[in-house]
Parts: sequence; structure tokens; C-alpha cells
Amino acid sequence: MFLALKEIKHEKLRYGLVISMVVLISYLIFILTSLAQGLGSQNTAAIDTWNIKQVVLNKDSDINMRQSFLTTQQVDQLHQGKNDAVIGQAAVVAKHSDLPQISATFIGIKPTQFIYKDMKVIKGHKPLTDRQLVVDSSFETKRYKLGQWIKLNSLNQKYQIVGFVKNAKINISPIAYGRLSAWKTISNLNPNLAANALVTRSKHYKVTDNNLKAYSVSTFINNLPGYTAQNMTFEFMIGFLMVISLIVIAIFLYIITNQKLPNYAVLRAQGVPAKTLVISTIMQSLILVVSGILIGALLTWLTSLVIPAAVPMTFNVPVLSAVAAGLVLTSIIGAILPVRTIMKIDPVKVIG
Amino acid sequence: MTALTLNHVNKTFGKGIAKVEALKDVNFSADQGEMTLILGPSGSGKSTFLTIAGSLQTPTDGEVLINGDDLRHLSAKKREQLRLNHLGFVLQSYNLVPYLTVKEQFKLVDKVKKSGNLSASQLDDLLKLLGIDQLVNKYPDQLSGGQNQRVAIARALYPNPEIILADEPTAALDSAHVEEVGKLFAQLAHTQNKAVVVVTHDLRLKDYADKIFNITDGVISQEK
Repeated sequence: MFLALKEIKHEKLRYGLVISMVVLISYLIFILTSLAQGLGSQNTAAIDTWNIKQVVLNKDSDINMRQSFLTTQQVDQLHQGKNDAVIGQAAVVAKHSDLPQISATFIGIKPTQFIYKDMKVIKGHKPLTDRQLVVDSSFETKRYKLGQWIKLNSLNQKYQIVGFVKNAKINISPIAYGRLSAWKTISNLNPNLAANALVTRSKHYKVTDNNLKAYSVSTFINNLPGYTAQNMTFEFMIGFLMVISLIVIAIFLYIITNQKLPNYAVLRAQGVPAKTLVISTIMQSLILVVSGILIGALLTWLTSLVIPAAVPMTFNVPVLSAVAAGLVLTSIIGAILPVRTIMKIDPVKVIG
Repeated sequence: MTALTLNHVNKTFGKGIAKVEALKDVNFSADQGEMTLILGPSGSGKSTFLTIAGSLQTPTDGEVLINGDDLRHLSAKKREQLRLNHLGFVLQSYNLVPYLTVKEQFKLVDKVKKSGNLSASQLDDLLKLLGIDQLVNKYPDQLSGGQNQRVAIARALYPNPEIILADEPTAALDSAHVEEVGKLFAQLAHTQNKAVVVVTHDLRLKDYADKIFNITDGVISQEK
């Protein structure tokens, strides 16, 4: 530690540049991770608030709620306890003459079931009639107001916004919650179709109908259109950045260590154990990387204060801490690479 | 008492036509309380002699004894401890860490060798003797060649070793400082009972030596 700190203090420019590099890498990884988290949560925010374990869909729906249709007879046969809710989903465009259009997802629910009952309205109240809606708070940021009557798609019928809820998003689309009976009107489907799916908080929901199947919520989420591809893209980007940072840090440490070999050789000649020099090298790398990560985290925090609300970023401290731990680990691996060179130093080459 | 002994030591590098005999049947001993000078031109085998005597490399054959311990029977770790506790190296390349001040060079020794080093007052006396007591907060790159060499000598003496091995210690010094270093090594040998072995081609040090050896083409012979 003594040698590591003294060298950093003396060689401020050189180690300042190394720290700057770590700051930039960690800042980029933190921002990308936050973006991945933000986009990911916009896909699943509503599902997360429902706190469900399984989704019952038509077997031929390709695990896609919009493509799954349950008939009245099938819905009647499904057990609908306090932990179960049938829902209908429809893609809609919300319109008001003075305001921008919003592409949204209409979710029709029954007032007797848990999604309606557990709904946390931040403004207004829950829908009391077929013509009332509770919409995601992003409607409010686009100047939609309580009491306003809006059109959905090209239907003549108008619906009144009576409440706003937070985190009501599915597949990056804001949700407009209404009655299941309204969903039937909006979807304009065969009268024999009663819902798209049944969602349940039960882990072991039993389905007797051979045409229906219960999927775990993780399977359902992974099959949301574009969700897996988007997540994998971010995971690969973050993974590659980690590998690149490992290589860059290892190269820097290798070059810096090689420059110090004549000094190390003299110290080895004087009996300074190789272990002391190895620990010093690893400690130095840890000091540099941890300092860089802390500054990167500070920059990320400052970014979170100024970033516009429209940018889908979620600053999840446990996830960012795990990413930081990954970076520290890569730095240790990077620092271990030149260790062999230190162990193999031949003092004779310096003296002779 | 004999501190360092080399018996029938040979050192060969390479094979076939590339074979070089750096040391040929070297017999040598250095006693405590004496300053021994080994004189020779460049390429004569001086540095090979010093590195073998200092346990930094092993001879092709022959035995090396330090304080009676045969180096052939010591592990790498034991040889490392022996260098740390019993040998002091003064090297041509100053052996100073560039990012430590003069004061911190001694602090580093304290970090790796926790006991047996010179006391603070002994170190002060040594620094005064070498004329570097005003330079304790300077970095090596802020010192002249001669000042660096004197700090390196102090650094080698700080762990209070019984044997001091010096490789061309006066290479960067002017005549006045050569005289000081010569006197210092002789004084260390005589007053502190150290075995001082200096390999050099600087004939100005002859006046201070108790024993003088000449080395030419790996063959050593005693002159005084």
C-alpha cells in the first residue's frame, strides 16, 4: 500500500490519466445499464405492479397476449378466485383535438378482481362506468387532464379520464385501464370472445382446458415483442465493454509494471519479497479502479438529476453496485496478469 | 571472522562456441573488519563475481558461504531473507525508488525489515557523515549523481548488514566524494566490524583497502 500510494501521489499525471480512463468506462457502463434497466422496466412496469406469477393464454397464441383469445365458455370454466383476474388487451390511439395523439394499450379489467382492487390511483378515482378510464401518468406529462373526454382509435364513442396511475406501462406503451366490457367494444370482436388472458398470483394455477396453457410470468415477459432482443443487445454491449475495459486496464498495468521492472529488480536484489511488490501492484490497481468507479458513479448520479423524464433510465443502486463490483473484479484480473513478470524479475539483469 | 567465502567457484554462460567462462576457479574470502577491493576492467567478471557473492545467481560449480551458510542448501526464500538481513548492496544504478523521497527510502526498508535497522540518531549521523542530511525531503530526480550515490550508500547501510557489496560505487562521484566514500567504507569496516567488498575499476579507492584483488578474464588474484 505504501509503495502504491506514494507512486500515485508522485506520478499524478500518469495515474490521473489511468483514473480518467476508468471514469469514462465506468460512466458509460453505468449509463448503459441504467438505460437497459429503464427500457426493461417500461416493458414490464404494469406486470410488476400486478405481482402475478402465471398467465393463462390460448395455446396457439405464441405466448403473446394480443394473439390469445379466450371464449366466454373458456373464461366461465376458469377458476377466478381473489388472486386471479381476466383481462383484455387492445392497441389504441388516444386522441383529443387540442393534444398530441398517444399510442397506448387498453387493458380491460373487472372491478371485482385484484388488478382493479389493488390499483393505486395517484390522482382522481378508479373507473366506475364503462366510459371511464384510469391512464398512465405519462398522459399527464402530455397535457391530458382529469375529466377530459378522449377518443380511442376511430370509434365515435368518447371515454373520460378519471384517474392517473404510476408505472402503468407494458411493452413500452402507456396503459389506459377501463372496464372489460369496454374492451369488447373497443376491440370489436366476435361477441363469443370474453378476454385475452387470465393473470394469477398463484404459482400453480390449474388449467383443465386443453386449448389453454398457464405460463410462468418470466416466460410471458421474455416473449413480450422485442423484449428479449432489446435486453440481449444491452447485455452484450455491457459484457463487451467489461471485456474491453479488462483488456485496456490489463494493457495499462502491464506497460506501467514493465516500466517499473528495473526498480523492482533492485528492490528484489535488496531482499524485498516478490509478494510485497505483487500486493503493491494489485493494491495500486484497486486504488485506481475504485477511485475511477466512485467518480463515474458521482457523474452518473449528477446525470440522473438532469436527465429529461422522457429518457427511459432507471438508476437501480443494487444493479449498479453489482456492475461496479464486476469492474473491480476485472481490474483485479487485469492486475494479476503482470504478476508473473514481477515474480520472474531477475535482479542480475539490472546489476550485470 | 570470515563473512564471505568463495571456494573453487566457476561460472559458465552459453554452450558450444557461444560458451563464456565468466569466473574460473575463484577462491576468495572477505573478513569482518576489513575493506576488500576487487579491481578489474569492464568484462573481467566483476559483476558476475558480485552477483554470485550476493546470492543473486548460483555458480556453475563451487561453493559460496555467507556467515558459514552454504548457499547451495538455501531455498530461494531463505536467500531472499539473507539478502534482506545480512547483505547491503550499493549498486551502480543507485538502487533508489524514484517516487520516494530520501526519507521515504528508509521508511520502505522499515516496512519490509521491521527490526535491526539503524536508530533514528544513527541514521542522522550517517546522513550528516555523507553530507546528505539536508536532502531528506528531495526525490532522486532532484539530486545530482553524486548525491544519489551517497543516498544509495546510506540506503544500503540502513538495515545494518554485516556484509556490504558495492558495485562501482564511485562511478558518478568527483574526486572529493570518492575520497569521502573510500574513507566511509574503510571506517564502516574498521569501526563497525563490517565486511566491505567493493568491485571497481577506480584505482583511487586503493588507498583505503585492507585487501586488494585483481580480476582479469574471470581469474582472480590477490595483490595486497
